[in-house]
Amino acid sequence: MRGVLYLAWRYILWHRWKSAILIAAVTLVVYLPLGLQLVVERTATDITARADATPLLLGRRGSPLELVLNSLYFSSDYPQPLNYGQQQDLRQSGLVDPIPLYVRFHSQRVPIVGTSLDYFEFRGLELAQGRQLVSLGEAVLGARAAEVLGVNVGDTVLSSPESVFELAGVYPLKMPVVGILAPRFDQDDGAIFVDLKTAWIIEGLGHGHQDLTSSQAAGAILKTEGERIVANASLVQYNEITPDNIDSFHFHGDLSRLPLTAILPVPRDNKGRVLIQGRYQSNETLQMLSPREVIDQLLETVFAVQRYVLVAMVMVAVATGAVILLVFLLSWRARRGEQLTLLRLGGSRFVITSLMLAEALVVTLLALFLAAVLTALTITFGGPLLQAVVM
Amino acid sequence: MIQLEGLEFRYPQSTFTLQISSARIAPGEHTALIGPSGCGKTTLLNLLAGVLLPDRGSIAVAGEMVTAMSDAARRDFRIRKLGLVFQNFELLDYLSVCDNILLPLRIGRDLRVTADKQQRAADLAERVGIADKLDRYPDQLSQGERQRVAVSRALLLEPALILADEPTGNLDPGNKFLVLDLLVDYAREYAATLVVVTHDRELLDRFDRVLDFQQLNQWRPA
Repeated sequence: MRGVLYLAWRYILWHRWKSAILIAAVTLVVYLPLGLQLVVERTATDITARADATPLLLGRRGSPLELVLNSLYFSSDYPQPLNYGQQQDLRQSGLVDPIPLYVRFHSQRVPIVGTSLDYFEFRGLELAQGRQLVSLGEAVLGARAAEVLGVNVGDTVLSSPESVFELAGVYPLKMPVVGILAPRFDQDDGAIFVDLKTAWIIEGLGHGHQDLTSSQAAGAILKTEGERIVANASLVQYNEITPDNIDSFHFHGDLSRLPLTAILPVPRDNKGRVLIQGRYQSNETLQMLSPREVIDQLLETVFAVQRYVLVAMVMVAVATGAVILLVFLLSWRARRGEQLTLLRLGGSRFVITSLMLAEALVVTLLALFLAAVLTALTITFGGPLLQAVVM
Repeated sequence: MIQLEGLEFRYPQSTFTLQISSARIAPGEHTALIGPSGCGKTTLLNLLAGVLLPDRGSIAVAGEMVTAMSDAARRDFRIRKLGLVFQNFELLDYLSVCDNILLPLRIGRDLRVTADKQQRAADLAERVGIADKLDRYPDQLSQGERQRVAVSRALLLEPALILADEPTGNLDPGNKFLVLDLLVDYAREYAATLVVVTHDRELLDRFDRVLDFQQLNQWRPA
C-alpha cells in the first residue's frame, strides 16, 4: 500500500496544476457552506451577547433597528434625538439608573460616544493605560480605536467636521487622550469616549471664547445692551479645552433641552424593568426597546438569507462534486495505457484501483486540511468582518 | 524453459486463431520470433507472460505451469520471474528514471523498495549508460534512453525469462544494437532465456535461434 500511495503522490506532484485546481475546488465546496455557517453563528452570538447585556433602550420613535445599531454598536445613521431632560425623568422614576448616550460625531470614522462615567461601570470597561475622564474635553479610547488612530495616552484626537462645506457647522475639537481601555473584543474597542458635555461642545451647543470684558477682546465688541454683548467674528473661539480656557466654556439655554441619541435605562430590578416599559408603551414620541428583541428580528432576516445562500451553495457543491467525479472518471479512462502497463508488469486490478482511489484520497485530504485552515481563519477573523458588514 | 502443448487461443469476435501443437525453447536460449505485423506474435508473448490465458492447451515456463496458476499467482510469477520490454517503452511519465526502474517493487505483492534494490537500480542504470539521468523524467530523455530505462526495469528482479516485444522498433540504428546487446549480454551473464519479437532482420544474427511465427502457428485462414 505504501508503494501505491507513493505512486499517487508522484502523480499528483507531476500534475500539480491540475491537482491544485481540483484541491481548490474541493476546498471551496467544503469550506464555503461550513465557513459561512460558523461565521454567521459566531456573529449572531457576538451580536446577541451585547444585546443581552443591554436590558433596555430609550430613544425617539422611529426605526428601532437604527436606534439599537446606533446606541449599542455605534453604527448606522444618527437617529432623531431626545432631550437630556428625559434622563432626569427616568432618574426621578426611581425604577432605573439612566445612562445618557450621544453618538453622532466621529474622528476619522471612529465613533465618538458622549456618555457619563456610569457607562464604563455598566459595560465593565477597564483602563489599560492612563486614567478616566476627569475634565471637560478629554477622551478615553477603546483599544482598537487607539490602534486605528495610532494614538497613545498624551496624544490628541480631533473630531471630524460633519461637512467641510458647512461654514457655520460643527468645528473640530482637539481632545487629549487621557486613557486607553483594555481590549474587550466588542464595539467598545472601536470607540472614543468623551463626557456628554464634551460631545455637546463638539456640536457647538457649548463653547469657549475670549473674555468679552478683557482688553484683548475690545476690538471685537460690536454693541453692548445691558448684560448682552454682541461681538464680531474676530472674537477668538477655542477649539481645544485647556486648563487655561476651561472656565470660559459654557452652554447657552436650558441643559435639559440638549440632545441625546438614546438613554440606557438600567433597571434596578425586574419589576422596575416591567414598570418602566409599561410607562413608555403608549408614548407617542419615545420608544422603550428591548435590544434583544430588535436584534432577534435582524438575525431572523440574516438567517433567512443564510438559508437561501446555503441551499445555493449545496447545489453548487453537488454540481462541483459531479464535475470532480467526471474529471476522475475521464482521467481513469485517459490512463488506460498506464493501467495496462501496470497489469502487464504484474500489478493487480486492486493495485490499479487503489492507485486511482489513493489519488482521490490525497486530493480530498489536502482539500479537507485547507478547508479546516480556512475555517479556523474565518472563525478568528471572519466574525468581526461579517459583523461590520451586517452592521 | 518454455514448453507449449496443444495451444489454442482466439480473441472474442475475431476469426484469428493461434494454434500451436507443440513448441519448446531451451533454457538460456536466445530466440528471435519473426513474422509480419498482426500475425499474432504479441499475442503469443502475452500468453507466455500469463497476461492472456489460452482457450486450450498448456504453457509451462521454467518448470511452472502458467496455465494452471491462479490470477494472483500468475501476477506474482510475472513480476518475479519475467522481464518485459515493450516497443513503446511504457514508462510512467510522472515517475523519474529511478522510480520507473523500481516500479515493479511498488506494485508487486510483498515487495518493497530497499537500499539493496535502489543500489541494483543504480547499477543497472550505470550498465545501460543512464546513471547520470536517474532524476530525470521520461519526457527529458531520448527514445534510446527511454528504452534503456525500460530494459533496466525489466532486469531489476533478475528474471529467468526476458520477453521483448519489438524492443528496437522505435530506435535509431545506433540505439537498436545497443539495446539488443544489453538484453543479450544480460541473458548470457545470468543464463536467462530471451525471446524477442522483431521485424528487423539486421538483428537476427545475434540470436541462437529464429522462429518464424507463420510456421509456428498452424492455423490458416479459410
